[in-house]
Amino acid sequence: MLEAKTKASEGKVKKRKSRDAVKSDIQAVCMILPQIIGLILFSIYPIVYVVKYAFYDYDMVTARFIGFDNFIRIFTNDPAYWKSILNVIIIGMSKLIVEMPLAFLLAYIIDSKFIRAKSVFRVIYYMPNVMSAAVVGLIYYFLFSASDGVVNALLLNIGAITEPIAWFSGKWTAMLVIGIASLWQGFGVNVLFFSSGMTTIPRDYYESADIDGATMLQKLIHITIPSLGPIMQVICMLAIINTLKMNDLVKVLTNGNPAGETEVLMLYLFKKFFAYGSGQRAEIGYAAALGVVTAIVLGIITLIYQRMTRKMNE
Amino acid sequence: MKKINLIVQIVLYAVLVLIAAITLIPVVYTFFSSFKENMEILNNSARLLPEKFRWENYVEAWKLADFKTYTFNSLLMAGTTAIGVMFFSAIAGYVFARASFPGKNVLFFIIISTMFICLGSITLYPIINVAKLLHINGSILGVSVIQIFSANATNIFLARNFVLRLPKELEEAAAIDGCDFFQTCMKIILPLLKPIMATIGILAFSGSWNEYIMPMVFTLGNPKSYPLTVGLIALQSQGEAATSWNLLLAGTTMAIVPILVIYLVFNKYFTKGLTEGAVKG
Repeated sequence: MLEAKTKASEGKVKKRKSRDAVKSDIQAVCMILPQIIGLILFSIYPIVYVVKYAFYDYDMVTARFIGFDNFIRIFTNDPAYWKSILNVIIIGMSKLIVEMPLAFLLAYIIDSKFIRAKSVFRVIYYMPNVMSAAVVGLIYYFLFSASDGVVNALLLNIGAITEPIAWFSGKWTAMLVIGIASLWQGFGVNVLFFSSGMTTIPRDYYESADIDGATMLQKLIHITIPSLGPIMQVICMLAIINTLKMNDLVKVLTNGNPAGETEVLMLYLFKKFFAYGSGQRAEIGYAAALGVVTAIVLGIITLIYQRMTRKMNE
Repeated sequence: MKKINLIVQIVLYAVLVLIAAITLIPVVYTFFSSFKENMEILNNSARLLPEKFRWENYVEAWKLADFKTYTFNSLLMAGTTAIGVMFFSAIAGYVFARASFPGKNVLFFIIISTMFICLGSITLYPIINVAKLLHINGSILGVSVIQIFSANATNIFLARNFVLRLPKELEEAAAIDGCDFFQTCMKIILPLLKPIMATIGILAFSGSWNEYIMPMVFTLGNPKSYPLTVGLIALQSQGEAATSWNLLLAGTTMAIVPILVIYLVFNKYFTKGLTEGAVKG
């Protein structure tokens, strides 16, 4: 009898508890609802839209299902698209080659016992990063402009060149300016990443190496670099993704010119969707197919990268 | 030995200072050139300092080139975005840390995975279509709405991690005092989240202030709604760049100085958000 009673009251308590829990759940869902709606409207729906219209011929007025025709066109009849991918790969690779050793060296120097005011240098190096990529594009457009640019004027003054270089008229000089501008804007992030990686290396490693009489170079090769392995992989990954996403800077600096020679992936896609400055018929379906292929290409690059780093770890 | 150390020290400082100078020079050149007369920019660009500081550049940019409107629009857009992102990410962070409704983990996984998909211009077109359906296109605040309600994975993640580190006893005490889940969030948790909300807010503000492509598409053909970046690039591409370099550079300075000041004052927040997001994400 008594047992039954306590059970009954326990049941009551449980029920009340669960009613409170249900109330909390409902409140929690309501609080997160704006994010859920945003996710559906601005992430999921756009992805579904792009995947769907990739199989259509759509000019904003009529949509006609055409199966894989858009994809066939990408792979057989759109060299400009593949050139834009090649361009970001060229820019990305050359940047990595310069940026990684530079950022590592700077972080290493800052971390060394010789340097005071460490944070002053970190703050300066990271500064270009907080600026708009479009505005950075404009600044470099100003610095490198052909007739009245600062760089040409300085080079003329010191006698390195005899007449102004038209930086934006040739593919490789234009690519060089894009590379310099994006290197200038981005290297500071990597200094910060390397720096924060170096502060996590336990000091006793270095102390015991000192006791064993290790030189600075030995400590660098046997302690610092191996300890930074994992963070280096993250840094490279982020650097690659950022280059692939490059858009605003190139749009302002060269807009893909001369004659589409400096086109980059995202800018090419953007132009296809919005058909800017061409007066052509809008090809939303084809642009969507390009979007799908681009997403797949990006996915493949990420996968290859992860495979490579996993192999390196083993 | 001491002498060698001193030499090493000098060399290392020289390297750091050289790179620091290279980092600063483009900005410094832009800043000083923005006070030059247009002819001086065209003919004598190598000279760093202007012959005479011409403040009229700023007056003209502010009034004639309408940078007054652009600055206001930038402030409106970035301010709205910062406040919205701060508020909604903090709430979402709390919900994902503490709530227990079915499907929570799946939802969190979906939101976090949007952090790793880099869509860039791939989905911009359908997003504009959604904006048209909601009648928020054409206004600079429409951009804020999209910035607030999309791609906040990193911020939600940061806020959630922060909540997870808070002691649960606080919430239990609040529950005993009769606070429900929502009240606990508003009264107890949000005030405690101030540090991480500051980080999120500052990053959201600068991200929005610097945004170019989306506000450009949103305000196409509607110069009264341009933010600074869009107005600036529009002036550049009018083909009269050579005749209005002084205005362009004054505008550039207006676009970068506020963000640089915020950065110099709050630089810890910038780097904290960056390293926490990258190392743990």
